[in-house]
Amino acid sequence: MQLQLSEREIIERAGLLPAFPSVVNELLQTLDDENATIGALIQLVGRDPVITARVLSIANAAVMGSRIQRDLRDMQVAVSLIGLARVREIVLGVSLAEFSHESRMSHYFWEHSLAVGVAAQELARVAHVSPDYALVCGLLHDIGQLWMARFHPLEFQMVRMVINAGDEGCDIQEAERAYFGVDHCFVGGVLARAWKLPEAVVAAIEHHHDEHPPGEKLVAVTHVAEALTNALDLTRQEEARVRYLSQTACTLIGVDWTQDLNYLFGRIEARARYLGKTFAPA
Amino acid sequence: MNKHLRYLPISDVVEGMVLGAPLALAEHGITNFTLPAGHELTETSIRQIAMRHGEFLCIVEDDPRSDEEREADLLRHKARLDRIFSQANLEHPALDGLYRAVLAYRSL
Repeated sequence: MQLQLSEREIIERAGLLPAFPSVVNELLQTLDDENATIGALIQLVGRDPVITARVLSIANAAVMGSRIQRDLRDMQVAVSLIGLARVREIVLGVSLAEFSHESRMSHYFWEHSLAVGVAAQELARVAHVSPDYALVCGLLHDIGQLWMARFHPLEFQMVRMVINAGDEGCDIQEAERAYFGVDHCFVGGVLARAWKLPEAVVAAIEHHHDEHPPGEKLVAVTHVAEALTNALDLTRQEEARVRYLSQTACTLIGVDWTQDLNYLFGRIEARARYLGKTFAPA
Repeated sequence: MNKHLRYLPISDVVEGMVLGAPLALAEHGITNFTLPAGHELTETSIRQIAMRHGEFLCIVEDDPRSDEEREADLLRHKARLDRIFSQANLEHPALDGLYRAVLAYRSL
């Protein structure tokens, strides 16, 4: 039977998911705050013992075998050794990995989200936008699907069957609208607003499948990152498909496919594997 | 023997591998560590790269495949790519460009 999901139902049921990690919002706010200090980041991280332990563990792994022979237990030292940007990346990746794990997200779903996150980070460097914002957009771009799978597994499975049947021109959003009344981009947008994520992240989640996405770089980066993740077959899933790619989005972020992009592709492939190990749920 | 390039996460890199592209690591926008293409990696240089947060390396190595085997591998990659793009209109310049760029990468 066709559902007609409403914004109210989406938000009400989202209350049954684990709490969205507030550190993500807080960290993104520090990026926009010129007065934010390393101390503020350390304080943020220090509030969550799980994330603190993971940051210290990764920092310890990074210095292992070096001349610095000590067991890192101090966040200030960890930040100074592995760098602020890396700590931010770890905090975002680990907190969203924990959230996904607690939300019972499938392994494939997490792998795909992480791969899009890494591709978005790398494209963000080309487009001169924040790689941290891009990572969050990539990690959360399909969050609407997680909600659908969790609360309406039967309908979600029906959509997968339609997609996997591989009918020519079969579009995931059309299939979702047929079973849910709305698509995962809409559901994801509602969730992102409810979690008070920045409007740029909400827009990226809502519009990443648009054939003509709005002219915002983060939306364009997320849109192209998903196509690139599938084209590079980063998750090696049979159902990976590239159906469309906005020329406007490519132009906006400055990607020219006729250039030698081997280094960019290699970097994305290798980093996706590396961060897959780094962010794996404990 | 033919050579081919591979991009590996730092965790998969071992002593004796050879850099296939120059390496430049930067911190705060300033390059503070460089190695030339052709550098044979040692335990020390791998540790130095890891310490400077290098996450991946481009490695060049002997390609033991025969011409026929390389051709067969490329055909296999192309078949997979064709499957991934089976519902895409390759007359669209952006899609065609992405398809060709990925195929070129798989031919390395």
